[in-house]
Amino acid sequence: MHDSGPPHNGHSASESEPPIDEITCQQFVELVTEYFEGALQAHTLSQVEEHLVMCDWCVTYVQQMQATISSLRELRQERTPEPPDPVLAALRARREGEA
Amino acid sequence: MQAKPPAAPASTALSDEQTLAALRAGDERAFRDLFARSYPMMKRVARAYVASDAVAEEIVQETWMAIVTGIDRFEGRSALGTWIFSILTNQAKTHSARESRAVPFSCVAPSDAEEPTVDPDRFQKDDDAWPGHWATPPRPWQKPERRLLALETRDRLKAALAQLPDRQRTIVALRDVEGHSAEEVCDLLGLSQENQRVLLHRGRSRLRAVLEEYLDAADV
Repeated sequence: MHDSGPPHNGHSASESEPPIDEITCQQFVELVTEYFEGALQAHTLSQVEEHLVMCDWCVTYVQQMQATISSLRELRQERTPEPPDPVLAALRARREGEA
Repeated sequence: MQAKPPAAPASTALSDEQTLAALRAGDERAFRDLFARSYPMMKRVARAYVASDAVAEEIVQETWMAIVTGIDRFEGRSALGTWIFSILTNQAKTHSARESRAVPFSCVAPSDAEEPTVDPDRFQKDDDAWPGHWATPPRPWQKPERRLLALETRDRLKAALAQLPDRQRTIVALRDVEGHSAEEVCDLLGLSQENQRVLLHRGRSRLRAVLEEYLDAADV
């Protein structure tokens, strides 16, 4: 079990920029795939990036999602699939028919 | 966005015209190459419609038989890949109807859209100090590269992928295992980008949770 203290470890928007309304971690985790896919609107993207600056736990969450995606890539079968015999036979019959 | 034909079978060194000419001439080498490149995506798509890998393989075989014997009927009005996948999905729908299964990608079921990404109990409640923020945050995985490549972890992930709901499994497999683009997958399955992302997100999130549970338990 972890401590349930405040999640923020930094400051909000810099003084030169207008403040961005913050999102919660629970809202953040719903946006991760849209974030990866580059599908977020500019305002939501700012909220997500601001949240990541402030929340180490959500950075960990993002790293775990990235690691999950990388691991899935490793499941790809490198074995070259071979056409079934009946299909090859049909192809050869076709070639012989042409000849 | 402009719709593009599925690129899997067509994304090749050969153009559609060259591939067609090779197939019509019964060129076995060109055929084996096209088959090998197309097979993973075809099987994943077929599997979305039916309950077993064996039937999905049967559908792929039937599709190739139809292509080899019917290639002269291809008039080039669509991309070759589009034609191949239209045959595949028709074959798959026939099998799906025989199994009395619902056609998988006609809509995104409410359960896909509403399912929370992370167990809500892991977040602080309204009367806590930081509502909506982590109560039980994720713990960094130790030596993730080595542990995620371990055979046992891969087996666990593979089993979890196989157990995902059909549509989530198909999208995750096409995007993350086979490496196809969002555009290819949406065009092929007739899905909107938004629905594709919902399914991808739900699938990935479930798999992350499985890995988290497994790796956290191993750390205790």
